[in-house]
Amino acid sequence: MKRIYCIVEKCLACRSCEIACAVAHSGVERVEDAVKIRPLPKHRIRVESIGDRNTPQGIRSIALQCRHCEDPLCAQACITGGISRDPETGAIVNNPDKCVACWSCIMVCPFGVIVRYEDCRRAVKCDHCADRDEPACVEACPTRAILYCEAEDAPIPVE
Amino acid sequence: MTFMKIVIIGNSAASTAAIETIRAEDKDSSIVQISEERHPLYSRCLLSYYLADKIDKNGLAYRSADFHKKMDVQLHPGRCVEEVDPAGQKVTCSDGSAHSFDRLLIATGSSAKIPDNIPETLRGVFVLRTVADAEAIKQKLSGAKKAVVLGGGLVGMRAADALCRAGLKVFVVIGSNRILSRMIDYEAARIVGTRVRDNDIEVMTGSDVSEVLHKDGNVVGVVTDNGLMLDCEILIVAKSVRANTGLIRNTDIKTRRGIETNASMQTNYENIYAAGDVAETFDITTEEYTVNALWTCAVQQGRIAGQNIARRDAAGIPAKYAGSVAMNSLNFWGIPIISFGVTVPEDESRYTILKDSRPEQNVYKKIVIADNRIKGLILVGRIANAGVLFSLVQNKMDVAPFMDQLLGDRFNFGHVVRHGGKPVLEKYYRGLST
Repeated sequence: MKRIYCIVEKCLACRSCEIACAVAHSGVERVEDAVKIRPLPKHRIRVESIGDRNTPQGIRSIALQCRHCEDPLCAQACITGGISRDPETGAIVNNPDKCVACWSCIMVCPFGVIVRYEDCRRAVKCDHCADRDEPACVEACPTRAILYCEAEDAPIPVE
Repeated sequence: MTFMKIVIIGNSAASTAAIETIRAEDKDSSIVQISEERHPLYSRCLLSYYLADKIDKNGLAYRSADFHKKMDVQLHPGRCVEEVDPAGQKVTCSDGSAHSFDRLLIATGSSAKIPDNIPETLRGVFVLRTVADAEAIKQKLSGAKKAVVLGGGLVGMRAADALCRAGLKVFVVIGSNRILSRMIDYEAARIVGTRVRDNDIEVMTGSDVSEVLHKDGNVVGVVTDNGLMLDCEILIVAKSVRANTGLIRNTDIKTRRGIETNASMQTNYENIYAAGDVAETFDITTEEYTVNALWTCAVQQGRIAGQNIARRDAAGIPAKYAGSVAMNSLNFWGIPIISFGVTVPEDESRYTILKDSRPEQNVYKKIVIADNRIKGLILVGRIANAGVLFSLVQNKMDVAPFMDQLLGDRFNFGHVVRHGGKPVLEKYYRGLST
C-alpha cells in the first residue's frame, strides 16, 4: 500500500506540511479562513529533530505521521472498535462518531503520531487525505521531501 | 488435519480478536462460540460512558451487527458452559447441549468480587460489568439522590463520574490511601483528587463498608468501618475482579489467580487455550505471572491464541506473546492520565525514579527505571508520545543515552531515531509497530 515517506536529507523543518495538514482537515480551503476556526484545526503530521550539531550527521529533521501499521497497536487498544483498516485503501482510520476520547490509542502508538483533539473530544491522525488526490503535506512540501508512494519506491534506509 | 472444530467460550475482547485472526488464516474450520452474555457483542469499557449518557446503546457495539455472520461463527448467546472435558474434547452447557472440539479457547473473562457483608440480592446494590448491570443502574437513577461507590479504581471512579453527571451526590469509599491506587501514586492521585472534589464527589480513603442498611429489600445506606453513616439508594461495588474459572473447576487445567498460560496462550493441554481476563500471563515489567485484566491485553492475547489455533499442524513457529503489561488510560474531567507497569515500586532503592511535578498545571510525570530500562510510568496532564515511552518498555530499550530527556514535554519518536539510527527508522517507514 502507498504510504507517506519523508526524505530526511531534504527536510528543512519549515513546517509547511503541518500547516497544509491542518488546513486540509479544517473543512475550509484557505489558511486565512482555517486560522479563524475554533477549536483551532489540528495537524496530524509533525516535524521533529532527529539530529543536532552534536550528532554525527549534524542537523536533521523528519516529518512524522501515522504509518498505517501492518499490526496496528492503536486498533488493538481501541476500546470502541472505532479504529480499523479501511478494506479498500488499506489505511487505518479512526471513526470520529465512535471515538470517546479515552486516549488508549495514544497510550500504545510507538511513533507518537496520534493527536489528542481535546476540544473536540476525539483522537485524530493521518488519513492519507482520503478525499484528495494527493496528501496535502506532499503537495505543500517546498523541497519535495515528502513522498506518497509504494514501499519499493520509497527511500527506506537499510543497514 | 484440514478441517477443525473450534470452540470459543466468551464473547468480548479476547474472543473477538481470536475470531478475526483465525478467519484471516482459516476460512473452513467451524467456529462455535458460546457465551453467557445475551446482549450482542459490546465493549465493556464503554459501560460507564453509557451510564453517563455520553453514548447511546448502539454506541456500545464493538463490531458491526453482522460480525458473527461475516466471520461464519455459530454464536450461542445466553448459554453457560457448565463443564469442560479436556480428555474427551467436549464442553457441556447448562441446557444439556454439548459441543466437541479439536481446539478450545477459554475467554470467559472476570466478574466483580462482592464482599460477604454486602447482600447482593438487595435492590440498589449493583456491579458494573455488563449491559444488564448498566441498564439496571440507569433504571434506578430517576428518583435516586445519593450513591455510594465502594472501590476507587478505574471502574469505581468512572461509575462515580457517571452518577455525578446524572445529578446524584456521590460518596466513594476506598480501602487504600488514594484513588486509582493500582494506576497512580499518591502525588498523582492528589492532583486528580482535586478535580474529583471540584465536581463535588466525596472520597473517603482507608475505609470500608462494614454494614449495608436496608428497608423492605431496598438499600437505604451504608455504615463504614470508621463509624460513618451514609444515606444512599444506590451502592455500586467495584472493589476488584476474579477470573471466571468455574467451568474448569472439575478438570486438571492448572489455575492460580487465573488459568495458567504459556507464551503461545496454551494451558497445560496443548489444544486448550486461554486469553483475556481469565488468563494468567507473564508480566514483562514485574517479571511475575499475574492476571492483567485489561482490554488491550485481552485483545493481544486473543490474537496470539487465534494465530496458534489457526495453525493446522504442530509444525512451524508458534506465535509468541511477549507478555502483558498493566496499562491504563483514563480521561478524567479533561485531565488525561496514562500509566504503565511498575508505578509505585516496593523497594525504591533498586530503581531510578524521574519526576516532574507541576500540580498548579495539573501536570505530573514519573518514570521508574531499573538497569537503564523503563519499568513503569505515570503521565498526568501531558500524555503526548506516551506510546513512544511504552515501546521503550516493551522493547526493553536502553534509555541511558536520553535519560535526561525522557521527562520533557518535547520527548518524541525523534529521540529514539536519533539514538537507534537506521534500524529504528526502517521499522517506522515500514509501519512495523512492534
